[in-house]
Amino acid sequence: MHAVGGKILYVDLTSGEVRTEEVTPDLVKKYLGGDGLAVKLFTDNMDPSVEPFDDKNVLVFAPGLFTGLPVPTGGKCLFLSRSPLTGTIAESVMGGNIGAELKMAGYDAIVITGKSDNPCVLSVWNDIVEIKDGSPYWGMVTREAQEAIRGDLKVSSVACIGPAGEKLVRYATIDCEDRQSGRAGLGAVMGSKNLKAIAVRGTKDLTVADPEGLIELVLKLQDTMEKSGAFVDDTKYGTGEFLNWINEERGVFPTRNWQESVFEARKEIDPYYWAPRYTLRSKGCFGCTKACGKLFVVQEGKYSGTKLDGIEYETLYSLGGECSNPDIEALARANEVCDLLGIDTISAGVCIGFTMELVERGILSTNEVGMDCRFGNPDAVVEMSEMIGRRQGFGEILGEGVMRAAKEIGNGVERYAMHVKGMEPPAYDVRGIKGMGLGFMTSPRGACHLRSGVYALNLVGKFWRWENVDRFTAEGKGEQVKAMEDFMTVYDSLGVCRFSRGFFLIDGYIPFVRAIMGYEMSEEEILQVGERVNNLKQLFNYSVGVRREDFYLPRRLIEEPIKDGVAKGAIITEEEMHRMLDDYLDVRGWENDGKPGERKLMELKLA
Amino acid sequence: MVTVLVSYPENCTGCRFCELICSLYHEGVVNTKKARLRVQKPDIMNDIPLVCTQCITCGDRCCVDSCPEDAISIVDGVVTIDEGLCTACGNCRKACPYGVIWMDKKAHKCDLCGGDPMCVKFCPSGALRFEEADKNSYTSMLEAWGDQ
Repeated sequence: MHAVGGKILYVDLTSGEVRTEEVTPDLVKKYLGGDGLAVKLFTDNMDPSVEPFDDKNVLVFAPGLFTGLPVPTGGKCLFLSRSPLTGTIAESVMGGNIGAELKMAGYDAIVITGKSDNPCVLSVWNDIVEIKDGSPYWGMVTREAQEAIRGDLKVSSVACIGPAGEKLVRYATIDCEDRQSGRAGLGAVMGSKNLKAIAVRGTKDLTVADPEGLIELVLKLQDTMEKSGAFVDDTKYGTGEFLNWINEERGVFPTRNWQESVFEARKEIDPYYWAPRYTLRSKGCFGCTKACGKLFVVQEGKYSGTKLDGIEYETLYSLGGECSNPDIEALARANEVCDLLGIDTISAGVCIGFTMELVERGILSTNEVGMDCRFGNPDAVVEMSEMIGRRQGFGEILGEGVMRAAKEIGNGVERYAMHVKGMEPPAYDVRGIKGMGLGFMTSPRGACHLRSGVYALNLVGKFWRWENVDRFTAEGKGEQVKAMEDFMTVYDSLGVCRFSRGFFLIDGYIPFVRAIMGYEMSEEEILQVGERVNNLKQLFNYSVGVRREDFYLPRRLIEEPIKDGVAKGAIITEEEMHRMLDDYLDVRGWENDGKPGERKLMELKLA
Repeated sequence: MVTVLVSYPENCTGCRFCELICSLYHEGVVNTKKARLRVQKPDIMNDIPLVCTQCITCGDRCCVDSCPEDAISIVDGVVTIDEGLCTACGNCRKACPYGVIWMDKKAHKCDLCGGDPMCVKFCPSGALRFEEADKNSYTSMLEAWGDQ
């Protein structure tokens, strides 16, 4: 079979047993790779009664079907497990070389279960798979650990956790070459298994059905990409390119823990302002010819020496606007601290913004928090990031995530805790992007912009099948979110980046499937993979008790209208929230409480 | 005038598309370890120098001198391996200080794709270019190579 490594690697860290299974053509046709394959392997091997930090929790690592091949933007891989933050099935996609390296070692996924007695590193050198002593690296920050392991084990690429993952911060990341599997705390799952890192070197061939045809296709795609406007801005400014547009022209940039939706100090955090000064060069994910990563370096001042791949749009919000932090150097440093200690910048920022609001409201004192943690204090953002990553002082509570922190603090502060299913929200004020509001609700891993990516359609007003979409109405959003979720799941299964959707839709990948796999798949068949995978995810979530009420938005979004800017007055009413959710469940073929319907499961060959 | 493959490491984004397309074009399979050029990552955050395999600046003749079969010669400034003569002894690979020769059943290295290098064609950031050699450096290189 083409494009695949050919085997699934099963590792039990408790017994040390390692075994492999062949990948069948049927499995690839039904699930592609990446997200699809990971969900299938996870649900096949996971018992829903197993809690996220139980030894028996299953952690899957899977590169996409096209990962490792010369498909532009196609270098993604992902981790998937039961999330300690949300308790649901959750995946987190990243760049980094390790996905391609694993395919070249001959594997399409690793399924990890059990718990090692001592810190360990999983080393994969083609057919030689070993569980090695990881104690020398325990405690190391991400970059340091990767350098050390790369040198010691002579591997090509390493994905590891930082101290935060070891200390079970519920939104700990997994890092590979300064790219992160950031959301949902999968780093803590690794930590709970005493698994510091996965280290891979692969030297095997990946084959494609039609090499010449593929080269021609890539040339064409490359041309389309380079001629698009998005290419220029992406490669020049990175993902923050639209910050000002979202902030001022759309008025939906969440600020001060979602109390406001326009950040007045946006100039300082806008890449149009900082990129010429701080960006040294571009950095691409593996196999991506549209490098949106930026090497950001601070060369003088208090935060001199700060160096990172960033700063991404989401982080400009979470450690910037959310905390009303206008200092780009402090923001960069906080971002670097998060990367090194291994915590998700979005969740960390929302936890800090939440604390700042409580301090300003007088519910918490600066004494209790241990620092002057107020909106507009850049140093507090840096310090608190460090405290969370090391689980010290007030960081101990915040490391549990905003939902659990609110419960712990009590005093009715739950109303200020921004989350869905326990996951802190990303940088789109959904009161002014109703489709995205529904996307936050229905995403299997909680408040997330990426499962559906519907923000772009709603903010621009047109994409793919739709035109003249009104972001302020609830109409038609169920159908949009459902279709976009399936669409995006296909991207995650193929291993291609969502940032290529601006010039390449699903039908654009039909010739790629033909040239690479050597068979035909229609647009409907490809999209059905997405639908199948999303049904499997909801089946799992339903089995662990996720019901309709777990989909609801935080109170603030349905009670307080947007205060300022062009989206002033916008709100998702409770009635609209229910109507959109009903629409969605209806289009999905799921029951009112979220249970996937029998007929739909039969149609997808899941029952 | 001679056209040469030049790398501009300061432009390299580390995407390694050159390695992917090189192996696909030459070997018909995808395998970065079989690519005839390498993107090196000395460490995670630091620069990613790109070592080109044209050997044009080497001038040490390491590989040429190491070959017991005289299978390696310099044709128009490009180090070329005559695969008909090659016995895959591996001497050249050991001799090359840049590690740009790899062995399969024969020794392989960059041949500029017959004058239209694929890596240059696909490099998105201008880190690899196929351009006219600087006359001075080219002359000194030729001197280093002797009268070939």
